[in-house]
Amino acid sequence: MSLRTYAAFFSPNARHVFRRNLLAWRKYAWSSVTINFAEPFVYFLAIGFGLGSYVRLGGQTRFVSFLAAGLLAALPMNSATFDAAWGVYERLNTSGVYESMVTAPVDPREIAAGEYLWQAFRALLYGTLFLIVMALFGLIASPLALLALVVVTLTGILFAIPAVALGATVPYQEQLFYYFSIVITPLFMVSGVFFPLDRLPVWARDVIWFTPLYHAVNAVRPLIAGRPTVGTLGDVAWLVVFIALFMALPMARLRKKLAS
Amino acid sequence: MSGGEGTREASVVEAQALSKRYGPVEAVRGIDFIVRTGERFGFLGVNGAGKTTTMKMIYCRIAPSAGSLRVFGLDSAAHAMAIKRRIGVVAQESAIDPELSVNENMLLYAAFFGMSGARARLKADELLRFVGLEGKGKAHIRELSGGMKRRLSIARALMNDPELLVLDEPTTGLDPQGRLLVWEKLSLLRAQGVTLLLTTHYMEEAARLCDRLVIMDAGRIYAEGTPAELIAQYAASDVLEIVGDAAALPDPATLDGLVRRSERHGETSYLYTDDGPALLGRLGALGFESRRHVARPATLEDVFLNITGRELAE
Ligand SMILES: Nc1ncnc2c1ncn2[C@@H]1O[C@H](COP(=O)(O)OP(=O)(O)OP(=O)(O)O)[C@@H](O)[C@H]1O
Ligand SMILES: [Mg+2]
Repeated sequence: MSLRTYAAFFSPNARHVFRRNLLAWRKYAWSSVTINFAEPFVYFLAIGFGLGSYVRLGGQTRFVSFLAAGLLAALPMNSATFDAAWGVYERLNTSGVYESMVTAPVDPREIAAGEYLWQAFRALLYGTLFLIVMALFGLIASPLALLALVVVTLTGILFAIPAVALGATVPYQEQLFYYFSIVITPLFMVSGVFFPLDRLPVWARDVIWFTPLYHAVNAVRPLIAGRPTVGTLGDVAWLVVFIALFMALPMARLRKKLAS
Repeated sequence: MSGGEGTREASVVEAQALSKRYGPVEAVRGIDFIVRTGERFGFLGVNGAGKTTTMKMIYCRIAPSAGSLRVFGLDSAAHAMAIKRRIGVVAQESAIDPELSVNENMLLYAAFFGMSGARARLKADELLRFVGLEGKGKAHIRELSGGMKRRLSIARALMNDPELLVLDEPTTGLDPQGRLLVWEKLSLLRAQGVTLLLTTHYMEEAARLCDRLVIMDAGRIYAEGTPAELIAQYAASDVLEIVGDAAALPDPATLDGLVRRSERHGETSYLYTDDGPALLGRLGALGFESRRHVARPATLEDVFLNITGRELAE
């Protein structure tokens, strides 16, 4: 991993790539907002209030606030994964968007960085909307909840990494569905969004520790409740280290495709 | 529209033993050529000849596998970014961003060259006017016809005031009117001093647009020169095409040296001569009467046929 990897984030070209996505998105912004907001909101209503009325968690916590925080943490995984993987595939292979970018003096690493920034923005935007709804339902205990948006944004960047890498790798666009259903959906189920993990066998929890959404959920929940701990910082650090370690991988993939 | 800082070299592109292989496929097999500053240089060849591969190496999209390639005197592999700043590219498949409007396409491209604000907008308007797309700035890309898209790619490629404009099959898929329009714009650019490098399947286009050209086939360059030189060297001034009647045709060697060379492709015999009327007269005197023949001036098509044994697209 070189300095160029990190420098790409601060390049003007990464901002232009970001702006390109923003311009394209503005044309279908309403449907995009609706879809990305509606999905967690439906879970929130149906499972939070429907199923939730039958569920007792230990202690004071209401199931609906437990679930809402989990959904907030998982929202950027869903908003980044499909959009980045599908979009990158399209821009690389179908619409020639990247092809014309690299006829200008643009480094493929800057393109990847622009895509990360774009997913950070989407995560922040949709996360904020969801946080507002949580506030309206009286589920926010403290202003510390605003810090949860930092975690949400990081989670968006984190999940953009494998998504961009796959979008830049798979030969057929439909193959991306393997990733969505074999990796993303199970993560959504077992990372502590819907139920606490303390009754799982130790080996299962050990495995889950190595997956990112678990740490996002772990970091978001105490912030929403207004009771962060040192452990919360550890979870955030886990996300940051993951990003720092793997950020260069999709950049290399794009470079291979666009400079050889 | 050309210029920029620094000295103008005598040549814009210099390739020596330039090669590109894709796995087992040798797309370009050691070609040499020089594109001089300010000229219109063409690559004429059939499908798969290696034209696009060569263009991609020149605009630094792919790296050569072997040989040397210098653009503006700079090594293409080591100075890709510096070269890209000074080049305009109209790729074979126009890669216009379908999710952006015409103006947004222009301005995004400008941004990659560090241009923004009023300066970029003025430049975009000027170029859209230049290619006849004025008033289309807000149009969505799917509202544009194929010809309009091609002209938009040309306008976009000019956004950075390139010294060299590379056009990969700029008129393929256009109707005759669209083709004329593109030709006219390219002539205007040439007058402004932009060096043009283009590929084509069309001999008419090569003859009309190129000051010099190379004929490429299966990854190699077989001939190089001005259209007139190539015709003089590889064909002759006139061609007599005779359909059928091959058996009745006298041996060309017996025709008093009037036939410089002859070819047979399918049903048609081609007799290349510097004196068409005399050859016809001589054939008549020998008692050869053909019901289906054409006498015409030789073209690049004949050059191509002579060199590669293949016909060009038309
Ligand atoms: N990315 C690639 N991978 C493998 N082979 C390739 C690739 N690009 C081109 N080729 C092969 O290289 C050869 C030259 O292709 P190229 O596209 O340069 O030809 P061309 O002269 O531009 O043809 P056309 O007139 O059809 O555009 C062909 O045999 C082609 O199949
Ligand atoms: Mg081609």
